[in-house]
Amino acid sequence: MNGQIGVYVCECGPNIKDRIDIDKVLEDISSLENVKVAKRFPLLCSNDGKKFLEEEIAKEELTHLVVAACSPREHEQTFMTVCKQAGLNPYLFQLINIREQCAWMIPDKEQATAKAIQYIRAGIQRVAFHRPLEPKEIDSIPDVCVIGGGISGLETSLSLAGKDRRVYLVEKTDSLGGMAGKLSKLLPYQGSELSSVEAKIKQAQDNANIEIFTSSEVSDVRGFLGNFDITISSHGESSEARKIQAGAVVVTTGFGLYDPGNDSQYGLGQIDNVITALEFEEMLGKDKLLLKSGKPPKSVALIHCIGRKELGYCSKVCCLYSIKFAHRIKDMSSDMDVTELYMDLCLPHKSDQAYFDEAKEKGIRFIRSGEDVLVKNKGTQIEVEYDRDGQKDSITVDMVVLAPAMVPSEGTTALAEMLNIPLDKTGFFKEIHEILDPISTPIEGVYIAGCAVGPRNIPESIVQSQAASGKILSSLIPGKKIKPEVKVSEIREDFCTGCQTCLSICFYGAISYDPIKDVSVVNEVICRGCGSCVGSCPSGAIRSKHFTYPQLYREVLEALR
Amino acid sequence: MNSTQKDDKSEGKAGKILPAEDGITSTIITFLKKSLEEKQLEAVMMPSKIPNTEAWTWLLLQDESLLASCNPLPPVMTVQGGKALSNVTKHGDLHEKVAAVMRPCEVQAAVELLKLKQIDLDNIYLISVDCPGAMPLQDYMADPEKTTKAFEEAFSTWGENESVRPVCQICHQFSLPLPQQSAPSDNSPPKNEGKFPAADLHIGLIGGDGTNVFLIPATAKGKELLDKLDLSAEDSMANWESKVEEIRERKFNKRKAADAEWQAKTEGVDNLAAVFDDCINCHNCKSACPVCYCQQCYFDSQLLQFSPESYLGRAEKRGALRFPLDTLLFHVGRMSHMALSCVSCGACEDACPMSIPVGQVFTMMGNKTQDYFAYTPGLDRNEPLPLQIFKEDEFGEVETPREGAEAPAEETEKNV
Amino acid sequence: MSKAVKIQQSTEDGLRSFFESLLQNKTVKGIFTLRKTNDEGGISYALITDAEDLKNAVPLYPQMPTNAGKILSDFTLLEPIQEPVAAVLRPCELRAFTELVKRNHGNLDNVLLISLTCGGVLSLKSLRGGNGTKDLSSYWESVGKAELAPNIRETCNTCVQFIPQNADMVIATVGQKDMNKECTIFATTPKGEDYAQAAPGSTVSEEMENEKTQALMDKRSEQKATSLETFKNNQSGLKALIKTFAPCLGCHGCRQVCPICLCHLCDFDSKTLEYQPVNVRSELNQKGGLKVPPGNIFFHLGRMSHMAVSCVSCGMCSDVCPVNIPVATLFSTVGDALEKVFEYVPGRSLDEPVPEGTYKEQEFVEIGEQ
Repeated sequence: MNGQIGVYVCECGPNIKDRIDIDKVLEDISSLENVKVAKRFPLLCSNDGKKFLEEEIAKEELTHLVVAACSPREHEQTFMTVCKQAGLNPYLFQLINIREQCAWMIPDKEQATAKAIQYIRAGIQRVAFHRPLEPKEIDSIPDVCVIGGGISGLETSLSLAGKDRRVYLVEKTDSLGGMAGKLSKLLPYQGSELSSVEAKIKQAQDNANIEIFTSSEVSDVRGFLGNFDITISSHGESSEARKIQAGAVVVTTGFGLYDPGNDSQYGLGQIDNVITALEFEEMLGKDKLLLKSGKPPKSVALIHCIGRKELGYCSKVCCLYSIKFAHRIKDMSSDMDVTELYMDLCLPHKSDQAYFDEAKEKGIRFIRSGEDVLVKNKGTQIEVEYDRDGQKDSITVDMVVLAPAMVPSEGTTALAEMLNIPLDKTGFFKEIHEILDPISTPIEGVYIAGCAVGPRNIPESIVQSQAASGKILSSLIPGKKIKPEVKVSEIREDFCTGCQTCLSICFYGAISYDPIKDVSVVNEVICRGCGSCVGSCPSGAIRSKHFTYPQLYREVLEALR
Repeated sequence: MNSTQKDDKSEGKAGKILPAEDGITSTIITFLKKSLEEKQLEAVMMPSKIPNTEAWTWLLLQDESLLASCNPLPPVMTVQGGKALSNVTKHGDLHEKVAAVMRPCEVQAAVELLKLKQIDLDNIYLISVDCPGAMPLQDYMADPEKTTKAFEEAFSTWGENESVRPVCQICHQFSLPLPQQSAPSDNSPPKNEGKFPAADLHIGLIGGDGTNVFLIPATAKGKELLDKLDLSAEDSMANWESKVEEIRERKFNKRKAADAEWQAKTEGVDNLAAVFDDCINCHNCKSACPVCYCQQCYFDSQLLQFSPESYLGRAEKRGALRFPLDTLLFHVGRMSHMALSCVSCGACEDACPMSIPVGQVFTMMGNKTQDYFAYTPGLDRNEPLPLQIFKEDEFGEVETPREGAEAPAEETEKNV
Repeated sequence: MSKAVKIQQSTEDGLRSFFESLLQNKTVKGIFTLRKTNDEGGISYALITDAEDLKNAVPLYPQMPTNAGKILSDFTLLEPIQEPVAAVLRPCELRAFTELVKRNHGNLDNVLLISLTCGGVLSLKSLRGGNGTKDLSSYWESVGKAELAPNIRETCNTCVQFIPQNADMVIATVGQKDMNKECTIFATTPKGEDYAQAAPGSTVSEEMENEKTQALMDKRSEQKATSLETFKNNQSGLKALIKTFAPCLGCHGCRQVCPICLCHLCDFDSKTLEYQPVNVRSELNQKGGLKVPPGNIFFHLGRMSHMAVSCVSCGMCSDVCPVNIPVATLFSTVGDALEKVFEYVPGRSLDEPVPEGTYKEQEFVEIGEQ
């Protein structure tokens, strides 16, 4: 091996110096054949330290650099930058952790020293097999494609659109606004009226940097962060496909409503005057609260939690809007009898409890009815049977309003497949981490926001839309180049039989199949270097650029000597 | 290349009966000839004897006269049929309608290769034949005449024949899998349960007493071919079906016994090493195996090249180190890569120069691992390979709770 | 005249004693030789580092489970061995190793090469199962009498290279009628002489090649001539080749075990030579039929053109063939002819370059003139 490896041990102030016999380490390391020089330095991450390393690389004509110091999480990048500045490929470098993994956890100095030597020797063996890797830079397109023109889509588009950034807003139906647009009145404490959704629609339409496609769908997505090729197809006779390019995609496809079916316990579609919340909204919007007979009802039952048991999750907003309905009914006619039947009450926000108390004060009855609610015909009225603490009870009303659960909107599965993003058990789009990363997907550049991710209310959707926009604004800067992962996988064509096992394993969709050459191909821009494909290939045709077999084997062999 | 074929299974078990006046082989050849003449097929692939020799090979033919030396069931399996078909369609469709006449395990291998994208079955009619087994290749090479005669006897003794290869003696996939509605039980052979069958057409010999050959369509494609040929005589296959079931039950029980036997024989490293003691690492088993498809086997690659110092170190640790190295690693490694797709064809055992019972050991491992994943290789084109799909809820029983973690509390009134 | 050590023990015991002293004196770190894996059979090459384990060593067992030259090549492929190791290998295995070293696929540093005058090896097929318990008396009797031994590989029967070249030490077996009492090890290089000092025996001067070895040489030459005649009459020409390779499965086992075949990925296993649908269709349409898998004869002729000039006639290829094709006889015969044309003997000398890699301006002029 023609390598000239330089090994530098950092004293790290007292951290390493006091706990490891550095001179002993240097003595041992210097005796190794391929080590040109082994020195110590007080604090390598300091400006002096970095300068020292840069000078050493040049002076000693080092081909590889090994630094024994702290954790790579601390200073791997620091020293890689030093290499770059010294003209040494930054991947011909290895940082050995003798602080967190030696000095800080082994009290006995002799033991700690011995272990440090073992680690450093192992690292030297590994680094000898490193290959120079070239980081890539690719141009990115700052434009964004937003799929779904409801409140989330509108908010996202308005936050993103600008002189240097176009937004393509694609909406399946013929109008913008989504479900929020169908509401007659937003909850009082949420501020202004219906006009806020209308205002946003108008803002979007007036914005020259937002191109709106209604009655259209995204029919094909190819590419990766910064470089998506998207086909938008429109419905109808002149169904032309329009191809656009975008750097990011935000999925804001909203939700649908659970349909309990025609022979369910709720009588929907069977019994007159049993309607859904959406239908009720429409009535309220026209200010006409009437039964099928044309007369106004005298009593209304609002049943919450439709589908909660079947689907296994709470839809969060139905309690609030059902209480809203109750308030509206009472406001229209104070002697109307209003009863709310629920499994559990969901009142999480600041003003919700007070709203609920007010409802009770207005005489609206709340009954915790459990799961087994049965809606039956009773002459011209409706009987609602329920179970309370083992005892059967019932009320008789003129009208029943069902609050159905939120379900993923139609086309979610197809869209997920197209974008190669996962769905969770409930069928909504799956965020990377429910708590810590709620709007990202495994595919870089593809974000999800609003009810497409799961039941949430309008303020939450707005926040998520702004979050997605924020992520895009800070990462997809016009003119900025994207630096994809360098330590990716690569496939040796001659050894690949095109069985596509790696393709089916790849979580990130980074592998595609070339039918002409009959091999799989790694897209080095999308690849995150996780190595799953390397493990899956039975023949070893695919390998990691920075975790090659010789590198790992030599390191482990030396460590176990 | 298609990854899966979308097709329905044919309903019921109606077929055609062909009287076999000139013997089974010539009846089948005549049927194929007719198909070629009427242009329902453009080529046929089946085993053929090489003129002036005792050797068998696969022949892909358009010229009908070449059918004269062909035989759907030669006494030996030389190159595994699935592998042979892959050799000519690995890089795409031939764009000619080809009937490939093979033993059932060869059809299964072809289907596994389809899932592995190493074969193209568009325009291929897979035709399987009731198979009495195959004779050990070594026996045939030593005395072709005697072995051929013994093979012919196998057609009358069918499920009870002990001169065929050991893996054939315990093979319960020797015929067309029958779709059944009943749930599988431990003591009976697994039913096909209406899955997409591997073959398009099946040639039934069992229950025909040598005087009749049954042509049974298994897919719509197969039925179409059969219908187009306008053959006379249509009858129910009840006789064939019941006889096949009977033999299948017997063989399935034999298979279970063999699995138990081999499991005991190979339990623990010492026993396993003893079985593979004679192995010279020629890798013939890997080369003959139809589902070993890697361009370069991992165990032939440079990834397993180490320094002399490490070899010496290993030798010193034990006092002696056998060469070539890592014999067991090769076998166990190969097993871990392909056992789920093992169709128990026995090509490996035939190819072994040291007569190691590779096929029998791998069959046992294949059976066990396939049961574990409830997977049957080559049976259903739409059944995905277990190693290529992820199921979140799987093998919960092997997940042990982390140390210190409490077991889930029992539900009480208070908790709820 | 050559220096030799005579140990007053049976040849095999004498060897074990010699190896024991080598290990115990720490003159070598390990002995590479044939070894029994257990009492029931199973012979394989092994690197023995513990003197205690030498009781399992069977250095002269007439079996070649793998060509030792190939193993030594794998052993020293990445780097030379840093510590001395003694290796016992047959003349053809040593020649194979030499050929590999010439191609940069092995290193001779620190290897003490011990070979033997070789009576041949029994075919693998005759040794399947329970090897260690086989009755070898008739074999050793023939070897002692310098006669053709029964049941040995076809290529052993026609081998005239059974006296090793380039070994440091040579164990005498052919023509040695007192092998059960005496062990004779020739030291044929200064290095060999050096190591011989560790042998527990007396030094003598003897001729390695004598009338006995000559007698076997004559018999083998005769066999070789007959074999060549048979080949010329029955096996040459395309028709004959087709018949010979008719049963071939395309398993490429012959290539796998061949010591000279060193390619990491053989051309004939690579994608280059795989049939595309257009190739299949065109052959099918032109000839009406196509043997599947195709390219059978092409593989063999191709392999021949790549390695026959270095073929050491070890016979591993025939032994692993599942369908008993006499690959070794064929390749050996053609190899001999090729070697004559180039005046090249594989393994004769490290300094003799491989014909493919050398250019001589004046060569095969007669072909050009035609």
